[in-house]
Amino acid sequence: MENKKDILSRTYLVYIFLCVFALAILYKICIIQFKEGDEWKAKAEAFNTKVFEIEAVRGNIFDVNMNLLATSLPYYEVAVDINAPSIDKKLFDGKIDSLGFMLSELFKDKTSKQYNKILRKARKSGDRYVVLKRNVSYKDLLVLKTFPIFKRGKRGGLVTLQTNKRELPFQMLAARTIGMSRPGIKPVGLEGAFDTTLMGVSGQRLMQKIAGDVWRPINDENEVEPKDGSDLITTIDINIQDVAENALEKTLIKNNASHGCAILMEVKTGAIKAIANLTRNGKDSSSYSYSENLNYAVLNATEPGSTFKLASLMAVIDEYNVSLDEKVPVGNGEVTYYNKTIKDAHAPAEPVLTLQRVFETSSNVGVAKTIMKYFSKDPQKYVDKINSFHLNQKLGLSIPGEASPLIKNTKGPDWSGVTLAQMSYGYETLLTPLQILAFYNAVANDGRMVKPRFEKEIIKNGKSVKTFTTEVLVEQIAKKETIKKAKIMMEGVVLNGSGKGLNITAFKVGGKTGTAQIAKAGKKGYGVAGDRNYQASFVGYFPADKPLYTCIVVIYNPSKGAYYGGLIAGPVFKEIAEKVYSSSLDFMEPINNKQNLLTKAPASIKSKNDEMLIASNALQLPVKSNATEGNYVSRNTIDSTSVALVSNNLESQLKKGIVPNLNGLSAKDALFLLENSGFHVKLYGMGSVRKQSIEAGQKFNRGDKITLILS
Amino acid sequence: MKQFAYLKGDRVIWTIVFLLSLLSILVVYSSVVTLANKYKQGNAETYLIKHSITIIGGIFIMYFIHKLRYTIFSRVGQIGIFLVVPLLLFTLLKGVSAGEASRWVEIPGLGLTFQSSDVAKIILLIFVARTITVKQGQLNDLKSVLKYIILPVGLICALILPANFSTAALLFVCCLFTMFVGGIHIKIIMKILGMCIIASFAFLLIVWYAPEAIPGGRGPTWKARLENFRTGDSKSNYQSEQAKIAIATGGVIGKGPGNSTQRAFLPQASSDFIYAIIIEEYGLFTGFVMLFLYMILLFRGIRILRDSEKTFGGLMAVALSFSLVFQALINMAVAVNLFPVTGQPLPLVSMGGTSIWFTCIAIGIILSVSRANELKEVITE
Repeated sequence: MENKKDILSRTYLVYIFLCVFALAILYKICIIQFKEGDEWKAKAEAFNTKVFEIEAVRGNIFDVNMNLLATSLPYYEVAVDINAPSIDKKLFDGKIDSLGFMLSELFKDKTSKQYNKILRKARKSGDRYVVLKRNVSYKDLLVLKTFPIFKRGKRGGLVTLQTNKRELPFQMLAARTIGMSRPGIKPVGLEGAFDTTLMGVSGQRLMQKIAGDVWRPINDENEVEPKDGSDLITTIDINIQDVAENALEKTLIKNNASHGCAILMEVKTGAIKAIANLTRNGKDSSSYSYSENLNYAVLNATEPGSTFKLASLMAVIDEYNVSLDEKVPVGNGEVTYYNKTIKDAHAPAEPVLTLQRVFETSSNVGVAKTIMKYFSKDPQKYVDKINSFHLNQKLGLSIPGEASPLIKNTKGPDWSGVTLAQMSYGYETLLTPLQILAFYNAVANDGRMVKPRFEKEIIKNGKSVKTFTTEVLVEQIAKKETIKKAKIMMEGVVLNGSGKGLNITAFKVGGKTGTAQIAKAGKKGYGVAGDRNYQASFVGYFPADKPLYTCIVVIYNPSKGAYYGGLIAGPVFKEIAEKVYSSSLDFMEPINNKQNLLTKAPASIKSKNDEMLIASNALQLPVKSNATEGNYVSRNTIDSTSVALVSNNLESQLKKGIVPNLNGLSAKDALFLLENSGFHVKLYGMGSVRKQSIEAGQKFNRGDKITLILS
Repeated sequence: MKQFAYLKGDRVIWTIVFLLSLLSILVVYSSVVTLANKYKQGNAETYLIKHSITIIGGIFIMYFIHKLRYTIFSRVGQIGIFLVVPLLLFTLLKGVSAGEASRWVEIPGLGLTFQSSDVAKIILLIFVARTITVKQGQLNDLKSVLKYIILPVGLICALILPANFSTAALLFVCCLFTMFVGGIHIKIIMKILGMCIIASFAFLLIVWYAPEAIPGGRGPTWKARLENFRTGDSKSNYQSEQAKIAIATGGVIGKGPGNSTQRAFLPQASSDFIYAIIIEEYGLFTGFVMLFLYMILLFRGIRILRDSEKTFGGLMAVALSFSLVFQALINMAVAVNLFPVTGQPLPLVSMGGTSIWFTCIAIGIILSVSRANELKEVITE
């Protein structure tokens, strides 16, 4: 290689040139990092990205019959990337007019010209994210996706951002108990209580800041897909809720009351079937519209008034085994302890009443005197007894915000000489409607106190995740004998006491009225008539013989003159009870034994043998059948052990040209048999055959007409 | 050096290959896979495994090639040049029929695709080195140089050009370099260069004023790139801007492995702009080391040339190493916005299946020459 030296020197020359190139690169890096560094770092800030939480679809809340109480509907922010690489000039120019027109047609918020202008401007300035509309429903989104350009799918430049809005299909019904959960506010109701269950797990989406506070998603899809929340089935029955809410509203309007609540609870399980809380809109007492704003049932602890008398008298009866016939001298209906005069609302009919009458007529003096007689020496005994009824403790509800009850203690600083007497008829004491209801429910439940609950089950994708069971707060709040007497007293109230007229034809009701005087805000004490506010309530259970439900209705501040619990709250109670009766199977006589089962079986059935066997098996009826497959059978005899089926030779009779006895046959089977035999059949009514125009045993010819009457 | 017992040829080149491969796996992992891993559970490891397998496969190919006698490649260049033309033509026509610029060819049955220009690059450089060696006495005038070298080089570059302008230009520069180093008279090269400048000026005019006239449909893209580079328009020059942000925020020591944020914005984070991501994550220091490694690679190529007794081997080795390093520098220059966006991957580092293998083949050939030199050294000792 003679010219190797030349080759090498040329190579080195190039090498030096490349070294300069390399140094230039290095230099440029240094320029970018050190000289322009701050500028680019600032730009990096502007090009900020953030991982955004993508809210999972919140679980639904159902009522006990799977009606939707709360659900999340998706809404979309719809934007367009009109400069997406796939939208070329030809496509843009060709379709932009029709796109603008269709957007205008769909949203109706801008003219097609305006849309056209927006899109063209964005196209020209290279804008990659133009928000077209916010809060677009899923339905409209589907329509949008069929529009020109957009219909090209992922390459059509349509960018959507989903948000979920909570909707209550029944709007106001039980709204406060369904509640809400929003960042920044205290959780309310079931939404708040079961927030984590309903919420699901958020997904993630990487977004880029494009201007100010506007962010656009970087990728077409979420980086992490959200996991939807579980559904909650509540104990609420929306049909009863509807009645409760309407009845309550009606009464509130009628009496121009400020607010009120009504709760229906299942005796055995503590399940709340309905809970209505209504507040008058606006402070103005001339307003007659109400809405669910506060859950009074749970968080409004007030002086219960007369409804507390049950607890007082039960304390006496339980402790001293007092008879309901015990005489209580009530005099003219006034008694004074220290400086406090206790009066009856109505002057007593007689100067001496039985304990039963004291309760029925809701005599303040009678109750106070009885309690003072037995407990004035040892008031703490009374307090302890009341406390043993679980009245001094919170119920421990799932939904947040339950108010603490107040039962004064003799050792407390606020205990005075008149406290015992005041407490006895429901003052100097604070209880929420639900706490009172739970106590009455315990009495209806033969002494077993269960916790009120709103939640029945948690389901995920239709599968049960958790079932809620009844929680017992106190196994037995009082002696059986005491409970029995309490019930007698309460039934008396409705039969011939302050709650007269609340009985329902179908069943008896037990309960207690309550009319409490409430000090007006800012006024000390209960003041004179003009400064008084009233709280009318009724709490009771039904049917009295075998209590299934308890219900409380409280009306606050009625202002149309009437304020007695029996008159104001009673009708709401009655309306709810009637609705429950008319819509509930629970009132039907229970079907327990086989004997009953058989006598309850359809009186006359005729069907194909195999179908009959399937039906009987499904009903778990023991069947003896001598018929062969395909034959028509009818039930023959009832004995204590089984249903015996005998073959009914309908087909063979028809073949012989004789009209069989069609009684009890279903329309379908009758038609099949008769038309096959050449009859023209006319049917009237629904159900199974009751009458036939051609009597059984008659001969017939093909083409004959026969009329069947079904019922 | 025990660990190099099986590896012949320049140990420094081997070391550079290993270092760059390692870096490649790390960076590709974070620029593509970590993103996938973080936000899309699932296919993260697939990327990593696929890329690692590609690189390991490439090293095996390299090992196999370097065991061959380098004189074989003389024949490869001689015959290959006749095979490359129809291959490129096929690619081009397939692309035209599909209505877009096509660079890829599928190997039937294997499901592997490769860029035909990758093959052409190696074969053309071998061909040029061979021609210079074989026709040493005859290449003294412009006419014969045009006839023997520029004609085939021009033809092949012209076939590559419609689909991939930058590769064609790069390849042409590499051929010029080989001619220059191979001893072609300066005057001749200057004349050719002059012609090239006129031709490329004409070409630029076409691109600028009638981009649609260029077959293959890449005209408008080139025009846009040129325009962006010229105006530095911040809105449309998105990629360069993002790359600069990556470099600026990386600093001297970098944000650390996997901490790049710019990878989300750089569409070609794992190939065209990988150098920017490297600086973002591993800092200016690593960027410098990489530059240094490539310069050493070229230097070792020159060493092989120096040590070669035969012109062909040395010329081929230096031509191939020049093409690799030059491509690397172009890629880096693009990443730091010294050059307009071209789409050249960073040899050995960027992700890309068969492309990595062709780089490995090139290095294998270089090492094969180096191995032959070593053998002679052993004999002469």
